[in-house]
Amino acid sequence: MNFTKRLLAALAALLLAAPAAALLTVTASTDRDSVEINGNLYLTVTVSGDSASVPEPKLPNMQSFNVYSSGRSQSISIINGKITTVVSFTYVLTPRFIGLQAIPSISVFNGKEKAVTNELQVAVTKASQPAAQQPRQPPSQPARQQRPAQPAGTAAGRGEQIFLKAETDKKTAYPGEQIGVSIKFYTSVPLSSNPRYEPPAFKNLISEDLPPVRSGETDIGGSRYAYSEIKAALFALSPGRAEIKAARVIAQIPSEEPIDPFDPNFFQKFMAMSGSQGASREFSTDPITIDIKPLPAGAPAGFGGAVGNYTVTAAADRPDVRAGEAVNFSVTIGGSGNLKAVAAPKFPDLPDFKVFDTMSSLDVKKEGDLISGRKTFTYILVPRSEGRKTIPPIKFAYFDPRSAAYRELQTNPVVLRVEKGGQPARSVNFSQGGAAAPVTASGSDIRYVSDKPGSDSLPYLAASVLALPYWTHSAPAALLLLSFWLARFNRFKLANPLLFRFRRARGEASRDITEAENLIKAGKPDEAVSVLYDSFMDYLSDKCGVKVGALTIRKASGLVKNRFPSASERALEEICELWAALELRHFSPEAAGSEGASDLAKKYSLLLELLEKELK
Amino acid sequence: MKNLFLTLLLALPPAAAAYDRGELAEFNDLYRNGQYEEALEGYKLIIAKEPRNQWAWYNAGNALFRLNRMGPAVYDYARAFLLDPRSQDIRANLDFALRQTGQSLAPEGAPAALHYVYFMLSEAELKALALLLFWLACLAGAAAFLLDGGRGGVSAGRVSLAAALLLAFTAAWLAGRQSSPFSSAGVVTKAGGTRLLSGPGEKFKTYASAPEGRLVRILDTGDEAYYEIGLQKEGIKGWALKNEIEKL
Repeated sequence: MNFTKRLLAALAALLLAAPAAALLTVTASTDRDSVEINGNLYLTVTVSGDSASVPEPKLPNMQSFNVYSSGRSQSISIINGKITTVVSFTYVLTPRFIGLQAIPSISVFNGKEKAVTNELQVAVTKASQPAAQQPRQPPSQPARQQRPAQPAGTAAGRGEQIFLKAETDKKTAYPGEQIGVSIKFYTSVPLSSNPRYEPPAFKNLISEDLPPVRSGETDIGGSRYAYSEIKAALFALSPGRAEIKAARVIAQIPSEEPIDPFDPNFFQKFMAMSGSQGASREFSTDPITIDIKPLPAGAPAGFGGAVGNYTVTAAADRPDVRAGEAVNFSVTIGGSGNLKAVAAPKFPDLPDFKVFDTMSSLDVKKEGDLISGRKTFTYILVPRSEGRKTIPPIKFAYFDPRSAAYRELQTNPVVLRVEKGGQPARSVNFSQGGAAAPVTASGSDIRYVSDKPGSDSLPYLAASVLALPYWTHSAPAALLLLSFWLARFNRFKLANPLLFRFRRARGEASRDITEAENLIKAGKPDEAVSVLYDSFMDYLSDKCGVKVGALTIRKASGLVKNRFPSASERALEEICELWAALELRHFSPEAAGSEGASDLAKKYSLLLELLEKELK
Repeated sequence: MKNLFLTLLLALPPAAAAYDRGELAEFNDLYRNGQYEEALEGYKLIIAKEPRNQWAWYNAGNALFRLNRMGPAVYDYARAFLLDPRSQDIRANLDFALRQTGQSLAPEGAPAALHYVYFMLSEAELKALALLLFWLACLAGAAAFLLDGGRGGVSAGRVSLAAALLLAFTAAWLAGRQSSPFSSAGVVTKAGGTRLLSGPGEKFKTYASAPEGRLVRILDTGDEAYYEIGLQKEGIKGWALKNEIEKL
């Protein structure tokens, strides 16, 4: 039962937590509610999330609009180390049909969560200028404002009813300088169907479209032409020769050939004419070559290749911050030029700050056929310590093609007042989780003083051990060596018992003589003789290395002679004499007086002295 | 084995709680009232009497931190850390102070648990442990030789071998600690940092500077007035005045 309750509670908690975790949001808006058919509007899709990067929206299939991407801008806010990212994606929409048109729901999905926008409604009205109400021939490219068409006198002069023309606004340029290209399709006759446009290929150039497709009517050489114009901005990549290759339009031209009623193929030609089918013709532009001049020498140190006309500003998201807390510092480069290629200016070394990831956002406008906008580089700075901290000016250099000169700009210094007690300079948390965490750290500080007792026992034990004189630590090593020697000695002794009996024979005999003398003094001569007899037998046994019980006088004499060849005859005789005397005194005590025991002891003692010299 | 540990524990000096707790609490009251200078003086008195009192060093570090003297604060925290590396409070404040000066206690990316184990014992404790293991290995070995052939001898031999293996491990640990930032180290305590000269004297060129609170490795102490120090992270070394660096 308890388990079931716990399970239900856990499930309820999960269900409640799920909406709280939905941190991915998306909204869509347009810059206006109504637009003329020959105009355009901006659609802004804003995606926000709690991670460093948010997904790009997936645009649905829009039947009522042509869609062109315009740019993106990104802003980041950091609260308590957690990032919230807001990215705005901008699209240029050019309407295709008059009436109330719908922009369907736009969705984003980050792998875990999905968010969708509401559907938007835009009223598309007729063009205010009747001249611009020509059918929009569908070359599918971007849209902008109307400009009077260039006279296309050559082709028109040749009496061509349909022709395609490409023109650039300059024949020479610097790398990165904007070059405008206009491709116009003129026709003075109605077409059977929408022509198909194949854009040109570029060499040493990159292209940025300039929507929308413009259309209108113009007089060329006294003839009325309808035209569709596609514009693009080009930027050269490197000095040398750049080329715009041929653009093509394939159109169906109504046949002007009269139908002979007697022609065998009359019905086929008639049906083809009535079905609006005509001859398919291809129109192409001539290739255009542009001379790309090298940038002049003398570029400043901070020049990163930016060409155009720019301004640079720098700002922090707030003037007051606590040490350890993150602050957003943005460097914004605005102006006209190829902003996509503008690199981040060199950021100065800031020893007072920990500098985190650089993020850039791009917001491109294409007003007046000019690529402009701003690019923002955002740095996350975490002050290391308190005080008044100054971020020095940031320098930015670019080449101005109009004056053919390099320009150097710098931002104003930015002052931050850093208060104490912030968080330590730690890494910014980019994790996506933790939305339901009930505890929010707002800062950190050192821990409070302690009044614990002075020292733990372990450090004191360590100190005591280390305080001992070093020589004391040699004691266990000496003991170990001594023990080792003793163990070896004992093993040797056990392995060689006769050697040790030989060596100690003299000592034991001397002790026995002393004991015998004490017994004699105590009036026990018989016991003294017994001690001397046993001692003498043991002595000879130890010296000869045989057991006592196995010895006789003769055998002992022979063993001594064999083992100690250098032993003298006198020594052997004295051994035999003492042996015989001891046996006599030992086995027939009545035959000897008390003086005999004392004599035997002395004789044994003298014999020992002699034998120790000879039995070696 | 148990008897041996009991004997060692009983042999601990009774002076383990030698200093007066009330005295530290008294200076802590000054700290609480914001009288950091006065509290610091008190902590210094305790340190003079009891240089192995890690909490006196720790509290002195706190007072210095409040006085915004980051270099000496780092030094005092580091001293406390070297005495008692297992204390979470000491670790936290040392790490906090190091981060204020652009450093960190644990290297970036290093697992916290591994770093804790690496510094679980102080260097003095490691040396003492090595000495105790040496004694144990020798005494047990001597017993094994003296009881040669008996069961007691075999047991003593095993104890001796185990102690010897632990001794080798401890020695390796101790050797590994020689590469830690706190080994042969010092702290830049001069306000504003210290200059690194290319030689021990003012006639040599200044070619780098180390900020206040920076942990540095002391490479040479032979000169009277200058240390030769190394900045491991930057891979540079130079000579700095001894009175601008406190040796740990």
